[in-house]
Amino acid sequence: MPAMALLERERFLDALDACRADAAAGLGRIALVTGEAGIGKTSLLREFARRLESAAQRPRVLWGSCEALFTPHPLAPLYDIARQIGGDLPALIADAERRDVVFNAAIEALARGARPTVAIIEDAHWADEATLDLIKFLGRRLERLGILLVISYRDDEVNPRHPLCSVVGDLPATLVRRVPLEPLSAAAVASLVDAAAGRAAGDAARLHEITGGNPFFVTEALAAAEDDVPPTVRDAVIARMARLSEAARAIVDLAALVPGRIEGWLLAAVTPCPPDAIQECLAIGMVMHEDGSLAFRHELARRAADEQVPAPQGRALHARILAALRRHGGIPATRLVHHADLAGDSAAVLEFAPAAAARAIALRSHREAAAHFATALRHADALPAAERAALFEGLAYECYLTEQIAEAIAARKEALALRRAAGDALKEGDNLRWLSRLSWFDGNKAASDDYARAAIACLSALPPGRELAMAYSNCAQLYMLAGDAQAALDWGGRAIALAERLGEIEILSHALNNVGSVRLDEADGGGRADLERSLRLALEHGLEEHAARAYTNLASTAVRHYQLERAARHLAEGIAYSEAHDLDSWRRYMTAFRAQHHLQCGDWTAAAADADSILRHSRAAAISRIPSLVTLALVRARRGDPGIDQLLDEAWALALPTGELQRIGPVACARAEAAWLRGRPETALADLRIADALAPQQPDAWIIGDIRVWLVRCGAEGDDAGAAPPFAREIAGDWRGAAAAWAAIGAPYAEALALLGGDEAALRRALEICERLGAAALAFVARRRLRASGVRGVARGAQERTRRNPQGLTTSELKVLALLVEGRRNAEIARRLFVSEKTVGHHVSAILGKLAVRSRGEAAAAAMRLGLAGARTGAVLGAEK
Amino acid sequence: MPRYLVERDFADGLHIPVNADGAKACRAMVDTYLHDGVTWVHSYVSTEGNRKSFCIYDGPSPEAIRRVAAKTNMPVNKITEVRVLDPYFYR
Repeated sequence: MPAMALLERERFLDALDACRADAAAGLGRIALVTGEAGIGKTSLLREFARRLESAAQRPRVLWGSCEALFTPHPLAPLYDIARQIGGDLPALIADAERRDVVFNAAIEALARGARPTVAIIEDAHWADEATLDLIKFLGRRLERLGILLVISYRDDEVNPRHPLCSVVGDLPATLVRRVPLEPLSAAAVASLVDAAAGRAAGDAARLHEITGGNPFFVTEALAAAEDDVPPTVRDAVIARMARLSEAARAIVDLAALVPGRIEGWLLAAVTPCPPDAIQECLAIGMVMHEDGSLAFRHELARRAADEQVPAPQGRALHARILAALRRHGGIPATRLVHHADLAGDSAAVLEFAPAAAARAIALRSHREAAAHFATALRHADALPAAERAALFEGLAYECYLTEQIAEAIAARKEALALRRAAGDALKEGDNLRWLSRLSWFDGNKAASDDYARAAIACLSALPPGRELAMAYSNCAQLYMLAGDAQAALDWGGRAIALAERLGEIEILSHALNNVGSVRLDEADGGGRADLERSLRLALEHGLEEHAARAYTNLASTAVRHYQLERAARHLAEGIAYSEAHDLDSWRRYMTAFRAQHHLQCGDWTAAAADADSILRHSRAAAISRIPSLVTLALVRARRGDPGIDQLLDEAWALALPTGELQRIGPVACARAEAAWLRGRPETALADLRIADALAPQQPDAWIIGDIRVWLVRCGAEGDDAGAAPPFAREIAGDWRGAAAAWAAIGAPYAEALALLGGDEAALRRALEICERLGAAALAFVARRRLRASGVRGVARGAQERTRRNPQGLTTSELKVLALLVEGRRNAEIARRLFVSEKTVGHHVSAILGKLAVRSRGEAAAAAMRLGLAGARTGAVLGAEK
Repeated sequence: MPRYLVERDFADGLHIPVNADGAKACRAMVDTYLHDGVTWVHSYVSTEGNRKSFCIYDGPSPEAIRRVAAKTNMPVNKITEVRVLDPYFYR
């Protein structure tokens, strides 16, 4: 079928070309081309690439496609791109043992070539995990490389839980341009009907209605040449294939079983391919590529054809494809597994699936690795118990890494039963320890404790090894999280001793982290040394998760204890490390703590920005959401802004099930503060008491102090025992000492809060701080207290005074500005003010600089907004356009 | 998208000329706001000295309202989330 001109696609092509121009100017761009299957994403991109060929500054265009395999090959689109770049890149990628090597080689190769480079990744809704990570990796490093990254996907298949969704959300917003394709209009469908002879004009409206203007459906329906419009795109495709000869049909059936495209040699190896049969296939819209491979014009057509192949015949064909692929050699294991599985050839699945999983693991495509283990297990009934158990253990670990906790638990239980039956106590104990960890993730604390004890009981009977050391450290972690310091230190100590004796660095780092965190909470200086040692070991040995965890615990403790400088340092290092190693959940967790830290320092704009960046992310975990919700709610409450309750209600609902003081306490205090600022403190007492009840098990002086001081402010009794110094002072009635302590710490809002308990001078000082911070709600409280204590004429605030001329314009500049507002030119201003035109020019540039505007018009607008304009022209905002 | 009523105080009154410059000033403000996803619906200005304005915006959050205000040097005295009440709806 001849290629048709693209209809109604000019503006989308223009949008892509604008991105190309930006990339040519050295900016990074990411274009997201979206729309349902058949909307014409590929056609648009082909046309875009075709036009680039004749462009003056012809860019390098690289194509990569994601595959519709059940379990996609890791980094398949990058292999495509590497082949086009050539050189040693394809070999380097194929042989690389580590993923970061692959990613760095890819970005180097992209940056080295011609500028601009247009890299296209098609069908990202099918992307494997490693490819999704690659998109994120490239997106973050694109800025100055002069690369346009085009990503196409079916946005209607990408729901908020689809992994691509969070990847797109993480791309730098300033670089992203969206190109959402739309269906064809009725007029466009009518013109296609006109072009396809032999149809009545009345059909066009019906065709448009049934196809919804989907270009692929329209084309297929027109080509099907049925009396009526086929009801679905599948029917249209099948109708076209119905007229094929037997030989052509055999080719179509075979091609339907090979996602993507079928190579010429594979086709020939499995079925006879007379030229006229191939011609027939091309006549129904299949495509023959330059390399001799044959493909359906669209995956929708392949699916429809695939469904038409009867199951027994399909199995036989898959077996023949598999045999041909094996004879050919050099085929990735992923592809062999796909056909072996569909051929029902268990021996072949078990031969290739572990290799496919291993490759996926090396490239950190953990979702795909889990899928390969699951495929192998479907064919593993006849395997010996130990081999099946190993497959379940592999599956469990990959599920754990991809946050499929329920699946991981189920797989661990299978492995446990198999190991137990085989009498392998070491592996039994290790599976028990894993079940403990997984149960904690699952929110099942009781089961977690039971498994932890069972693991130690089981492993203690054996000679001490790494499994036992890990079981000890797991116990330490559980007790640390539950706030049981003594038990945590006890188990942690055993873990450290055994790990040191065995030389197990990773376990040592893990155990030191647990012990150090506990000791820090206990205000034990040695805790920091433990944590820093844990961090050092992790950094030296490339234990990325452990390093991120150590940074997080160091930073979060510093934030909780108001050690502002230390917190700033740990946060900066930890976030930079997580970014550099693409440890996204850790980056989000630390960013949430940074929001809290900004709030403590009084930088509310930065606090709100950090919190918002977490809350906007669909996959942020509860432990990251809680501090973000609290921080944003407090910024709003303190500014007197709306939208507080929905944030705090969500935070409360997320925090309560954790049962942990470190999550529940801050939410209770924030709810108390919001209620207190609103003048209804008594409504917060119940929440504060819930949090206070947790204090005995988890004695953190800063959280407890915060809870107790809010109990007092809200009118209840508060106990200063166990509260950190600034809180204890306020509870004891020493507002002066409390305020001084907060001032020394550098937490201005906390200082203002403490000053509210003081005399007139203290209240005035509090008011000053509030005005500087923009704390309208607390300023209101301070003014009310001042008035109540008999002080008259409480100023409305510094805001009013400074706002009159906050930019510090000189008298002459103000005069010039007044004339600018009236629209006078420089010559006229010069005449009126009796100065030279050159002087006016100087004044004007000074004004532009001080007002941070670029033109006289903008300066005039700014002057009017700021009330800086002397002249009154009498109009009001919005009176006239 | 939430709707906000933003109260602003102008110590020396708010003055926008009824001419091309005034139109341009408003247009520039509308565009700046839109860039951050905030739509300026309209405003009421106190008749006495133009000292106070009540502006209606549709925007994603109070933070966005404050962000665009800072960009355009507009004061913000109070932000209230509001919704429409149409008295004639009850007729």
